[in-house]
Amino acid sequence: MTLILGYVATLLVTFFTYNIFVIGLNIQFGYAGILNFTVITFMAFGAYFYAVFVMPHADNSSQVFYILGLHWPWPLAMLAGIVASGALGYLVGLIALKRLRSDYLAIVTLATGTLVYGLFGNNNKLFDGWSGLFNVNQPFQSVATNHPNEFSWIFVVFSGVIMLVVWLFANRLYASPLGRSMRAIREDQDVVDSFGKNSFKVRMLAMVIGSVIVGIGGVLTIQYIGALSPAGWTTGETFVVWAALLVGGRANNLGAIVGSLLVAVIFNEATRYIPQVPSHPNLIPNLRNVIIGGLVILSIWFRPQGVVPEKKASFLEVPLVDKYAQGFPGEEPGGTLSPAASEA
Amino acid sequence: MTIFLLNIGFGLVTASVLSLLSVGLSLQFGVTNFVNFAYGSYLGVGMMLAYTFSATLHFPFWAAAALGTIFTGVVSMVIAEGVLEPFARRRKSLFYMLIVTFGLSLVLDNLLQIFYGVDFFQYPVAQSSPVTIGPFSFTNAQLEIIAIAVVAMVGVHLLLSRTRLGKAMRAMSDNMDLARSSGIDTKNVTRWTWFISGCLAGLGGIVLALNIVSFQTNSGETLLFVIFAAVILGGIGQTYGAMLGALVIGMVTEISTSFISSAYKQDIAFIVLVLMLLLRPQGLIPAKGKA
Repeated sequence: MTLILGYVATLLVTFFTYNIFVIGLNIQFGYAGILNFTVITFMAFGAYFYAVFVMPHADNSSQVFYILGLHWPWPLAMLAGIVASGALGYLVGLIALKRLRSDYLAIVTLATGTLVYGLFGNNNKLFDGWSGLFNVNQPFQSVATNHPNEFSWIFVVFSGVIMLVVWLFANRLYASPLGRSMRAIREDQDVVDSFGKNSFKVRMLAMVIGSVIVGIGGVLTIQYIGALSPAGWTTGETFVVWAALLVGGRANNLGAIVGSLLVAVIFNEATRYIPQVPSHPNLIPNLRNVIIGGLVILSIWFRPQGVVPEKKASFLEVPLVDKYAQGFPGEEPGGTLSPAASEA
Repeated sequence: MTIFLLNIGFGLVTASVLSLLSVGLSLQFGVTNFVNFAYGSYLGVGMMLAYTFSATLHFPFWAAAALGTIFTGVVSMVIAEGVLEPFARRRKSLFYMLIVTFGLSLVLDNLLQIFYGVDFFQYPVAQSSPVTIGPFSFTNAQLEIIAIAVVAMVGVHLLLSRTRLGKAMRAMSDNMDLARSSGIDTKNVTRWTWFISGCLAGLGGIVLALNIVSFQTNSGETLLFVIFAAVILGGIGQTYGAMLGALVIGMVTEISTSFISSAYKQDIAFIVLVLMLLLRPQGLIPAKGKA
């Protein structure tokens, strides 16, 4: 029973954190049409910076090296992680958002991902290289001492509350004037520009807000697991988030929940129990990635709007009565010439 | 100073590898007008096929390389015909095309890993001692790489300037609708463009593998954004610009190793990409309506 309860807790935390990732990507791609092909790098940024702010100074005798090591209280460190992720989003946006073409941004995100991955992996003075950070201080450890599952369940509630806040915020944003501008830019940037909106600023806000939210998910991930190494944030992981968003339905936070449940929890968990092939230890993870990539492609082919499609905007509008639809030009149905018609 | 000159030599080799790759990407982009994010995987297809032909099936290496090149072209054409072109017709949005090619890269990379595993491979070619030419020093393989790139670039130039296909490609790159209404069989030209682009990717992958000697299925993947950097530097969709971009990026990344650790080579390419996007996003040779 203890084992099952612990497992359920882990599943729930996975579900909540992926939800947060998908909502973050949704704000970037679903709302504003920003192609972020390295979502997971923002997660890693949040997680790593949380870790180095919360952990004590690196003990060089243990051959584990990392920067900072400030030993801040965890809420402050959490904030630092989130800020770091948002700052990365700002930098990437600064480079690429000025241009109209969405492929440039996609290229820059992809390049940033490759670069950060190589930099963090090869440089073991930054975040302990390929072995990654472990024994990261977890919150609530002082209160959760009675039972091994106690921490897990406290964390389920904690991450659930944060997810709920993020979800409500994302929904508010969707309906807000800012959210409307974002969606308008997604549909046609030229129109938005001609209405005098600063589309660069709006897209930048979407980029940063999305990065911040993905960063929150990253901090939660490392708080729960207590460790992270580059093997945990490969390109394949970015696809899990993309697949969840596309399967669930973009620009739609209910779709984000459905997608992360289907892809990140059910599909990812189910494939974990396929027995390993001893001669090919990577076969199952590889196949999983093939299927995730295929899922992305197929969902665009068959149902690009996702399981839960975006609701069409409904406007309160006065029905237009076309007074000039009937009759000949210059002649009103009533018979008298209106001033507008006589001008024409 | 000698190290500096040596690095110029290596820059020439890297530029040769990059020129094949960036011209292939650029040709395809010009005609189809979307970036193929699966391009990095085509490198892997080429280098692994050449490995299978040479090491497993014991073909002479030049034949294995030629077969690997052509088969990658076929793979590229089949993927375009079977997946990408139907998508382009069905979903007009550029977003979707980019996501589809991105998804394709994950599928191809992992399929390659399923077939070949994560081991390091080496072509069965003798490693020669370096030859000194003036201030430069090259291995035989590197001299061959430069020769292959020069021949391929001349070939691409002749294709674009002398043949009907090349002229049709240029016409489509300039104005798709006009090309179609002038009676160009755009479908057929697109098919051939994918084939040529795939061949160049495969050949680029093979010479990349020759240059780095020991390689994995995903060795080409990290090079993808360096290729992008070269293409954007030259002006996206501009074939001659891509050659120029490859030369600049190849030189800059290799010369930088005279001053900083070679581990940061790619970071230099990234900095060039960033500067270019900030200062001159239309590229050195701007293409009309493409930036």
